[in-house]
Amino acid sequence: TYRYTPLLAWLLTPNVLLAEAFGKLLFVAGDLAAAVVAYRALRRRGAAARHACGCCAAAWLLNPLPMAVSSRGNAEALVALLVLATLYWVEAGSVGKAAVCYGLAVHMKIYPLTYVLPIALRLRSGPGRGEGALDAPGDKTAKFTFMARLWHLFVKMLNRDVLLFGTVAGSVLAALTVTFYHLYGWEFLEHAYLYHLTRRDIRHNFSPYFYMLYLTAESKWSFALGLAAFLPQLLLLLVVSIAFYRDLAFSCFLHTAIFVTFNKVCTSQYFVWYLCLLPLVM
Amino acid sequence: CVTLDVQAACRDPTVTQELLKEGFHRDLLVKVELGEDAGGCAVAAQMRLPPGIYVDPYELATLQQHNLTKAVLFPDAIDVEAPEYLARDLLLLLFLEPEARCSRCFRAAVPVHARYHRPAEGTQEAWVVLESPEVLLCCCHSHLSAECWEPAEVDAPCSSDNTSPCQWHSTKHKPAHEGSMLRVPVGLREHNSLVCALTLLTTGLCTGLILAAACKYGHF
Repeated sequence: TYRYTPLLAWLLTPNVLLAEAFGKLLFVAGDLAAAVVAYRALRRRGAAARHACGCCAAAWLLNPLPMAVSSRGNAEALVALLVLATLYWVEAGSVGKAAVCYGLAVHMKIYPLTYVLPIALRLRSGPGRGEGALDAPGDKTAKFTFMARLWHLFVKMLNRDVLLFGTVAGSVLAALTVTFYHLYGWEFLEHAYLYHLTRRDIRHNFSPYFYMLYLTAESKWSFALGLAAFLPQLLLLLVVSIAFYRDLAFSCFLHTAIFVTFNKVCTSQYFVWYLCLLPLVM
Repeated sequence: CVTLDVQAACRDPTVTQELLKEGFHRDLLVKVELGEDAGGCAVAAQMRLPPGIYVDPYELATLQQHNLTKAVLFPDAIDVEAPEYLARDLLLLLFLEPEARCSRCFRAAVPVHARYHRPAEGTQEAWVVLESPEVLLCCCHSHLSAECWEPAEVDAPCSSDNTSPCQWHSTKHKPAHEGSMLRVPVGLREHNSLVCALTLLTTGLCTGLILAAACKYGHF
């Protein structure tokens, strides 16, 4: 059942007008474009051409899972392209372009919303600066307790880059949401966003919680168990953001891998979400 | 002696129903052999599908577009993701095509899908029982023998053009044919506590391992 953005439906209208295979070809092209962006990101970091090419080919281009997902008609390749573009522009310093790609990516799939913390921490420290956002001024680092450093981190989060990123991404997302709400009403909000937040799916069985949720689907513990499944995911995502934000690609890769693995629902297309970042972390 | 002749003249159609393939996604094949010639009438089979099984309306629309199957569903809005205990009955009207092997034989196939059933106590399977379909004829110009066929009320239109007075007919005698059964695997309710405990323990352990690795290698 279709539960994505109307933008994707519009993109696929040539399916009806031209050829039934148009959508699949579009996603395969997105797949290849994602590899190009990953390659350029690796080269930008200083990797040798041959090494970068090898990473991209081994982890993404020749990987059968993204091939199968794109050719069966899932639009994950487009989201992967937008996410890789966002990371590329953040590393390059073009905050505006990154924010536009990010807003678009979150509109298409909600999961990139988890990247907001690593990206904000990364922008806070700025590209190329050695010390992290957690370092207190002067030599008083040893005396600061962990909680004080955390508070310092979040209060000092807002600098010009972070504010620009937040404003542009927020505006893009808000503009798209308002436009589609105006066109399609409550049905759009319900299916494109709200469904994914409260999804209880007992049929797709890659998630570790699948059998537990299936057996307890009608019991009174169902809500409590759902919450018990959500808390480890949240805790791990927070800890990983703070621990590894300096290497943005690695942090996002860990984020998505943890999000997908500990999620209550997991279908095979979710694996593409972190596989697209694998060339960057290799 | 006269009454016996009249009854003998009315041969009930033979209906067979088969579920092809294995697993949750099957093909329902319906074969009908009429007692007499259809006489230009369209032949259809109407069956009530229990909540444990459904026909995907989007798949059906694609098949109809490619002229592979012709069928009508009531209701036409189906929740394809609902488990069996939250789903409703479905009425399927399947139009049959003439078969080459005999003049009075008709057949059609439609893909059906089983729904997830609730876990059971003591057994690892649930059964979906499909009743035998009812044969309907849609006649526009022909006349059927009144002893065998009677007019029927069906919601679907018989033919595409509304000019001719087309009418649905069903058999007067409704013989009970054998239906088919579909076996659906289900979970065991007795495993509830064990599965919950194991799942939460495993995820807790993995969470701990990841936190330990993050503390060891992360830059705080």
